[in-house]
Amino acid sequence: MKELFPAKQVGGFVFSLILTGVALLVYYFNMSRAVGLTILTLTAFIQAAVQLVVFMHAREIEDSKSVFTTIYYAIIIALVTIFGTLLCMIWGWNY
Amino acid sequence: MKVDHSQPLEYSTEQNRLNILGFWIFLGAEIMLFGTLFTCYFTLVNRTSDGPIGAEIFEITPVLMETFLLLTSSFVIGLGIHAMRLGNKKAMQAFFILTLLLGIGFLAFEITEFITYYEEGATLQTSAFTSILFTTLGTHGAHVSLGLFWGLFIILQVRKRGITPVTANKSFIFSLYWHFLDVVWIFIFTFIYMKGLTQL
Repeated sequence: MKELFPAKQVGGFVFSLILTGVALLVYYFNMSRAVGLTILTLTAFIQAAVQLVVFMHAREIEDSKSVFTTIYYAIIIALVTIFGTLLCMIWGWNY
Repeated sequence: MKVDHSQPLEYSTEQNRLNILGFWIFLGAEIMLFGTLFTCYFTLVNRTSDGPIGAEIFEITPVLMETFLLLTSSFVIGLGIHAMRLGNKKAMQAFFILTLLLGIGFLAFEITEFITYYEEGATLQTSAFTSILFTTLGTHGAHVSLGLFWGLFIILQVRKRGITPVTANKSFIFSLYWHFLDVVWIFIFTFIYMKGLTQL
């Protein structure tokens, strides 16, 4: 039975739960916008990384480099789209 | 078909390795799909018209339940893949079935949540904010719903054919999809619910 629950994955799950708990601190305690958003961003991205590496075995595949290139590329394009749009639609750009 | 026995079954043939890499590239496109939805969400989040703002309709309990159910299901399917690598078909099937049950639980909470929003007067047409909210959550929910059927077919195939290089490959690719849905949910949980509830 024990062999069915590898330490690495159980650890990854517990770590994800802890990160969710840390994100919840922002809900239960009053925080400034900067602190709150920093905690939320960090916990979200770390949790995403745990999923990719621990559960999706992104490092095990022999084309691991191509996998990470694809994922980083997609993330960069997504971030540029999000922040570029915020820049011109919300934050405003004064000439 | 050349089978490389030094690798787990799902990577054991050239075709299998290409299938997995191809699926990763598809996931890259999925990141961008949700990237555009988040772009619109962040742009429209304050355009609430006469409708409610996020903090008025979001409730922490169902959101936490959804998060917990999806996170656990992601963990359980990981155990399913581990059992598959051990060649334990029974345990693999059990874990996969449990994964789908947790997925159904997630959807049940999400549907209840949507009904509550509707009753509180937040519909797809209420404001730009509710439109993009339902579109983003709905796109994720639609992915989970699709995953339930996909997963069911995978379970039936493994049951019929056993753990072979082909079925192991399909199961692994399905697990990638399921983990990815949890990754998207993490961002929805963080940047829609937590950010909305705390009005940061």
